[in-house]
Amino acid sequence: MSVPAIAITNLRFAWPGSPDLLAIDEFKLAAAESLFLAGASGSGKSTLLGLIAGITPANTGEISVLGEHMDPARAARRDAIRASQLGVIFQLFNLVPYLTPLENVLLPLRFSPERASRLRDAGLCPHQEAHRLLDVLGLDGDGLDRASTALSVGQQQRVAAARALLGRPGLVIADEPTSALDHDTRDAFLSLLTTECQASGAALLFVSHDRSLAARFDRSVELDVINKAGGSR
Amino acid sequence: MRAPLLTLAWKSLLNRGLSVGLTILAIVLSVTLYLGVEKIRSGVRDSFNSTISDTDLIVGARGGSLNLLLYSVFRLGDPTANMGWDSYELVASAPNVEWAVPISLGDSHRGYRVVGTTADYFQHYRYGRSRPLELATGRAFNGLHEVVLGAEVARLLAYQIGDEVVLSHGVGEVSFADHSGHDFAVVGVLAPTGTPVDRSLHVSLESIEAIHIGWDTGMATRADPGEDADALTPDSVTAVLVGVNSPIRVLGLQRQINTYGGEALTAIMPGVALSQLWEVIGAAETAFTAISLLVITVGLFGILTALTSGLNERRREMAVLRATGARPSDIFGLLVLEASSIAAAGAIIGIIITQVGFALVSGAVRSQYGLDLGGGFGLSEMSVLVAVTLAGALLGAWPAWRAQRNALADGLSIRL
Repeated sequence: MSVPAIAITNLRFAWPGSPDLLAIDEFKLAAAESLFLAGASGSGKSTLLGLIAGITPANTGEISVLGEHMDPARAARRDAIRASQLGVIFQLFNLVPYLTPLENVLLPLRFSPERASRLRDAGLCPHQEAHRLLDVLGLDGDGLDRASTALSVGQQQRVAAARALLGRPGLVIADEPTSALDHDTRDAFLSLLTTECQASGAALLFVSHDRSLAARFDRSVELDVINKAGGSR
Repeated sequence: MRAPLLTLAWKSLLNRGLSVGLTILAIVLSVTLYLGVEKIRSGVRDSFNSTISDTDLIVGARGGSLNLLLYSVFRLGDPTANMGWDSYELVASAPNVEWAVPISLGDSHRGYRVVGTTADYFQHYRYGRSRPLELATGRAFNGLHEVVLGAEVARLLAYQIGDEVVLSHGVGEVSFADHSGHDFAVVGVLAPTGTPVDRSLHVSLESIEAIHIGWDTGMATRADPGEDADALTPDSVTAVLVGVNSPIRVLGLQRQINTYGGEALTAIMPGVALSQLWEVIGAAETAFTAISLLVITVGLFGILTALTSGLNERRREMAVLRATGARPSDIFGLLVLEASSIAAAGAIIGIIITQVGFALVSGAVRSQYGLDLGGGFGLSEMSVLVAVTLAGALLGAWPAWRAQRNALADGLSIRL
């Protein structure tokens, strides 16, 4: 088997001065697998995503992303792994307001030379690839050079998805990306996201409290089940 | 600091055009004020310190050196006493003395001092960087009852060549003892110098003698002056401007004159006396500099306001940047870059405005006031640019540190 997208062993995490928020003995997300992680708000899911993305350093235990150890002592290394290997989609406000939608899609390339060189090695021009992704996600050409704030929420989420997928990262993390969308837009967005992750070979970690979406993913996990610390709540 | 931050900072600033523009404007105004004050200040100081140049010694009756400088060069105050004509002749014939020009003060015209002197005055009086006096129109006096006006006298009193003026005894604005019957014809007007020469009327020593014949009692008599040359040789003069042929002889000559037994005399070196005087009156220039530096500081603090007030709204933006791979140091660098760009833009625009502004007015200022406003992009402009940019970066460090701290605390979440 290839390297798992996420491998967590014996993770313990608490914010300073608080009791343990996360205690996960074992968690794995296989490469190219899509996983639905269910958890109520406040259950520590955003903290878990921060740990996986390497923004928050773990207290104890080990987190690996695509075989790379997210070393708590090496912040710059974690930032570089995130820039190169991760795509992140938030619930809302995904776009940098002073950049156009197209510039937003190209944003990760500013921080990750590796991501840019991956595109070049594949013989792709970043602009063409960004346009292709936006096109696949149903955003046509006009409007891409205008203010990001002029887009509807659904359009903004799709721009964020295109940004997460640009340069073929191994893992896409989505934190409640559909909770601000209406029913029809949500379904269309979910289909596009899962299809595109599959097409580019990226694993998808999709976090939501809305369990009705779970059926659309390869596998579904309850955070409260894997998190021993959360059981006390 | 990574290169991509530059375009990010630029676009971020453009996006907040109005508030950024107003912050830049405050810095532009303060930098313009500072540079303007500095240029005028140094122009005034240079012009003051070279009110008289190339004159090695000024000799007058025994008294304070500042007093001698004030009445002989600045036409301010009154001489305590005159010095004898024979002392003048002695100084003029002393070894190493290249030239000696006597001046005689005590009369005025509508508040402007009259200087009785010889035609050599126009040749030897120098100011600035050895600039000689130049006639704007007309010629120097060469006879009795002829007067050459300083630029300001001619301009403010609207005199032209051929006009007649009457001199007054004493130096008050309003005189009750006119030298009536001795009308002087204007034969020349000097170009502006920015020195007290502009506010003087120049006549020959003989003219001064001629109008005072019969005034020994202190008031006019009806006696008709006979104008033979011998009678017009003055008994005394107020001061003597001396040029020495070798700079190393100046001190020796000064000591000789100061210790001369025949008459109590004082000799001063104008350069030394001028800088002594500037130390007294130049205290104001320090105050000007201090005030304009404070104004720049106030202008720079606008950066702090502009960046800090936007910080909470920008938390989401920072979280997105972090998520796409930005390091905490990138967040810090982005804000410091924004702050220093605002400061640098303000400084550059301010420098351009002062350069263009002074280029436009310097000709007029030179001809009106004889003031040389040093032009061009120089060391002071360069240091203002560097200092303001660095100060901007320094002020940006605080909001930048807060943004970095927020980004670390927020982790991978967007505060809604």
